[in-house]
Amino acid sequence: MSAPDVELGASAEPRRGGFALAGDLVGVDRARLRRPAVILALLLFALLILPALLSTFWVQILTSVAIYSIVTLSLSLLMGRVGLVSLCQIALLAVGGWVALRLGFGFGPALPFPLLLLVTALVTAVIGTLIGLPALRLSGLYLALITLMAAAAISQILQAVNFPNGGPGFLGYSPSAAGSVAAAVQRPALLASDTAYFRAVVVVAGLMFLVAVLHVRSKAGRAWAAIRQSEPAAIAAGVNVTLYKLWAFALASFMTGVAGCLLAASAGGLTTYAFPAQDSITILAVVLMGGIYNFWGAIVAGVLLKLMPELLKSWGLPPDVLTILFGIGVLQAMLTAPQGLAVQVPKDLAALGRALSRRTRPAP
Amino acid sequence: MPDLRPYLVLGLALGGVFALSGVGLVVLFRATGVLNLAYGAVGATGALIAWSLINVVGTPEWAGYLVTIVFGGVVTLAYGVLVGPPLADRDPLVKAVASLGLTLILLGVMSWAWSYQAHSLVLPTTRWAFALGGVRVNGTQLLGLGLGIIVTVATALFLERTKLGVAMRSLANHRETTAMLGVPVRRVEAAAWLGSGLLAGATGLLLSTLVGLDIVGLTFLVIAALSAALIGRLDSLWTTMLAALVIGIVQSCVTAFPPVSPYRTLTPFIFAILALLWFGFGRRGLRRA
Repeated sequence: MSAPDVELGASAEPRRGGFALAGDLVGVDRARLRRPAVILALLLFALLILPALLSTFWVQILTSVAIYSIVTLSLSLLMGRVGLVSLCQIALLAVGGWVALRLGFGFGPALPFPLLLLVTALVTAVIGTLIGLPALRLSGLYLALITLMAAAAISQILQAVNFPNGGPGFLGYSPSAAGSVAAAVQRPALLASDTAYFRAVVVVAGLMFLVAVLHVRSKAGRAWAAIRQSEPAAIAAGVNVTLYKLWAFALASFMTGVAGCLLAASAGGLTTYAFPAQDSITILAVVLMGGIYNFWGAIVAGVLLKLMPELLKSWGLPPDVLTILFGIGVLQAMLTAPQGLAVQVPKDLAALGRALSRRTRPAP
Repeated sequence: MPDLRPYLVLGLALGGVFALSGVGLVVLFRATGVLNLAYGAVGATGALIAWSLINVVGTPEWAGYLVTIVFGGVVTLAYGVLVGPPLADRDPLVKAVASLGLTLILLGVMSWAWSYQAHSLVLPTTRWAFALGGVRVNGTQLLGLGLGIIVTVATALFLERTKLGVAMRSLANHRETTAMLGVPVRRVEAAAWLGSGLLAGATGLLLSTLVGLDIVGLTFLVIAALSAALIGRLDSLWTTMLAALVIGIVQSCVTAFPPVSPYRTLTPFIFAILALLWFGFGRRGLRRA
């Protein structure tokens, strides 16, 4: 078995060496430019080409993929960067949607859409922080438990109060209007078409990813990394652990609030059965499968969560199979592959490629 | 003021079952450091299997109920034996998240095989009822409360008096040292998984009769037990039992007041938040985790 390995190494070595001479000078710049170029190309593809290729139905599905990748981003930020596990992100998404609808069906004059987005996000951030606050001083297990309870509680409350649809009072739900008025936020005229709205959502999602990346590269990101590695060490190094945990939780809730507002304005509006309590567990699964140490994972997670079930349905397969796969994915992520699919699949493919090339090569 | 007595009876029964599951959670956590969040899903799956066996296959009722309890034990044991050891050294948070994987697998299987419609399972004890102080009390309610108290007492005695119980308690303190002292760690852990799983099956059976056989509902009823276990600091069986009874009673009595009745499932959450505030800002710290 060792002979092919040596041969493989020997054949690979000169090639790498050959590149190194020319690459050392140019390579730095090239590597630094490659990632923004890839991101820009993907963004342009999503904004310009994708909507032209797909029917309205799939554009709507992709809109929800983009919206949910903001939520998966918030969770991946919490888990991958700070080491906090929140099980109430879907519930917070519903809270964001509720707040947006409440403001949208308005007391007084309607807010312009960008302002509505901001106010919703801020209110959701406050609510999320209040949920996390008691547990943030304790260990991560308690935060996970309290957020799981919050998820179940919020989903029960939503069943009782429903989403505002222009009814009277603070709750703003009128059962008689439920059939005729969708609980949806009025979009501005510029974004009236589904394609235009998809583009707007992609841009907002891009901004959220930018906010996350900037945070990770700033002082906050370094503090989070210290907390994730070892909380006692972070305290000893003078990091205000509670403050930065709270900041992370508030930021994640803020992002989820943005997603909630976007969801409230998407086609068809909101229904209570779109936010079952178990989705807060499912989203954890897809984020783990996508990978938490890398923001690409959040996009993979959004695709797994919102595109895969629709694809399965269109192929005539039961989407419940996906839930089972997600469960296996969680176990696998915990046991073997903490980096997730976004890193693991390229690795596995490379390993598979090596194995195949080894097998097809005639034995010496 | 509505007559609260019927709600009190139901609340005591619910509280008893919450105590039963709370004790199952705490014992497992103390022995293995795993907070098994799949507890509710295991019970729900077992109850659905019993429903199918009794209503579709036509097995005798007692056999169906036995299968539920055995299923709980077997699935939990299998999970513990396969996933427990590789994760033994990891943070309790990682172990808890891994159990969510089992939850999702079971949820997927349940919604695939039984879909989301409600089924119903009525234990034969429910048909047997008597009047107590003007309130009808049925056998299942009595069974729930009785089993909750008996299991708590029995488990406390077991941990205090038997060799296996002492081994479990020493595992809770330090796994490596316990192993070095010659305790067969894996076997003791397996015993804890099995016991906790059998309780999960029994809980599923009782709750599906008391509350209703609904997949998501049963899976998330574990939250009330979690809240009780949390108030017991994942350590004290007695506090867990008392907390479970109080949560059950409050949640049930709230049903009597229509303006707040839709929010009754908030009860465990509010209790847990208050407990965490007390732990977090009070002087006494938490022992583990």
